[in-house]
Amino acid sequence: MSTVTLTIDGQRVTVPEGTSLLHAAEEIGVEVPHYCYHAALSAPAQCRLCLVDVEGAPKPMPSCVTQAQDGQVVRTDEGLAREMRKGVLEFYLINHPLDCPICDQSGECKLQDYVHSEGRAHGRGVEPKRVFGRDDFGGDVLFYGDRCVMCTRCVRFMEEMAQDPVLTVVERGDRAVIDTFFEQGLKDSSWSGNIVDICPVGALVSKDFLHKARAWDLDHTPSVCPNCSQGCNVDIHTRDNVVHRLKPRENPEVNGHWMCDYGRGHYEWMNRSDRIEEPFVRGDGGWSAPGWHGALASLRERLQDCRGPVHAVASAHASNEDLAALRELVERIGGGDIVYRSARAPDEVPLPGFPMLARRRDLAPNTRGAELLGMRRVGGDDASGGLDEVAASTGTLIVLGDELADQPEDFGSRAELFAYLGAHPAPAARSAHFVLPVTTFAEQEGTFTNVQTRVQRFEPALRAPGSAQPAWQVLGALTASLAGER
Amino acid sequence: MAISVKVIRRPEAARSSYLRAALKGMSLTFRHMVNPRKVTRSYPEEPTELHPRWRGTHRMEVHADGRPKCVACGLCPTVCPANCIRLVGGEDDQGNRYPIVYEIDEFRCIFCGMCQEVCPVEAIHVGQHFENAEYTRERFVYDLDRLMEQEHPVTALWDPSDPASE
Repeated sequence: MSTVTLTIDGQRVTVPEGTSLLHAAEEIGVEVPHYCYHAALSAPAQCRLCLVDVEGAPKPMPSCVTQAQDGQVVRTDEGLAREMRKGVLEFYLINHPLDCPICDQSGECKLQDYVHSEGRAHGRGVEPKRVFGRDDFGGDVLFYGDRCVMCTRCVRFMEEMAQDPVLTVVERGDRAVIDTFFEQGLKDSSWSGNIVDICPVGALVSKDFLHKARAWDLDHTPSVCPNCSQGCNVDIHTRDNVVHRLKPRENPEVNGHWMCDYGRGHYEWMNRSDRIEEPFVRGDGGWSAPGWHGALASLRERLQDCRGPVHAVASAHASNEDLAALRELVERIGGGDIVYRSARAPDEVPLPGFPMLARRRDLAPNTRGAELLGMRRVGGDDASGGLDEVAASTGTLIVLGDELADQPEDFGSRAELFAYLGAHPAPAARSAHFVLPVTTFAEQEGTFTNVQTRVQRFEPALRAPGSAQPAWQVLGALTASLAGER
Repeated sequence: MAISVKVIRRPEAARSSYLRAALKGMSLTFRHMVNPRKVTRSYPEEPTELHPRWRGTHRMEVHADGRPKCVACGLCPTVCPANCIRLVGGEDDQGNRYPIVYEIDEFRCIFCGMCQEVCPVEAIHVGQHFENAEYTRERFVYDLDRLMEQEHPVTALWDPSDPASE
């Protein structure tokens, strides 16, 4: 591959032929401000913000579409380029309402950033501003026309990525505005949340997140979306130990810049407050809470005494580490069948512009991991049924993570030993001898194996309630003590 | 060792009398009774005059229709060095952003006035008020209604005719 060498802001940089000036500048750590350009979309070069001063060119060139040439001398941050940007930014603010205090994008807004860093300190406009008000685009998307900078990233996303062109620009000049066709809107789209992410300003905002938190208050934790087996890389945004939203994290091998609306919308369960907070042991005198040490010691004793067959129910929402620890424990106490149940959607929902990505049928993040660990999927597509054999067990029964929502209250009542490890109280675990609190994936570190058999790591975003522990720690401690180690 | 006796003579009557000192003191007192430059104030019967930049307990400004002026932008809890403001934003029935919860813990507050300075809509103010006796500690966490009820004059942190102090 042939390369070209050019000078940007006095620094020499060598890039492959065909690289845009914007990317070449990125190579040396210079960010050229831009709106309409997005790495995954076509570049119409219409925002005019990425104009740079190229020596010898008759006028400033848009760096997002200008290819780097050998020997070119480019200035992005002084003289003409800076003056240009200052002028363009002033144009952007002619009709911008400057409602940063009530705008959800405030704090992560590119217009705010650019104007703060190089725009004018005071406006010169005296004319009244154009007012559009706000428009419900359907789905989870609200449109504030006044804040829009007409970069058309959203229009191009719907056209090129979702390939469902339901957005367009109507009118011209200063009356131009993004709109949907009639009342159709975005309600049928499964990927519309992405236009909120790629909107560089606060024109497109999420209804779900509206006024909920300020961007600068949120902690970002790299994680993996737990809502289907695609395993989109996400950031979990939390404030005060509450998950407020999921945002896609770029990974060109898995999800590009995107994630689906289904995954984005299913995070509330991580904030559930009905949690098991302490290990409980059921003895002759009813339930007691002897603490982890006591509970694990007596569970270990009971496990040693049990001679019956071993059944285990796992969950495809558990991490590889949790599942492996369960497998290890089951092997240690004599081996047995581990089954799991997981919900399945009727069909996949692909993103046509990024063929690698789809909302997969498997609505659990780790079905592939469970499969690879030799676990067997039972029950229907709604994650119910299939546990008749397990429920009738007279030996040892271990349930990890499955809430047993469809099971009767006497589930496992014939088992000699029934241990339930879960995050949320399950009515069907009433016959359990041990109820042990474990963390959800959002409260622990671990990995999921996605549909491509890619093992992806996630980090803890929340503090676990009470004395809940990651399941792999609990199961690992049990296995180790059974093996005679400390 | 022999005991030695030291004889101390009584002072003269003129010097031992307290009359002189008393008269001297009283003359000062009486001079002050007629002194026009008196400094003692009969607080609390006479309210104290506060400096225009005195920063006391808070007050939330309200619109004519009774809504708080606050738009729940979150700048005051962000800037607050004492972390005494709790704010939960939401949307009211007219589609306006407003504070569902707005609480200031006046015990944690250090009365720096930065909340007033940062407020983009001039809603929250520190005020010319300092008499805050209450029976319980909880009463010092002022909620939105309480802040809106306050009637004391607000603090002028800057000169309106010269806001940048130039």
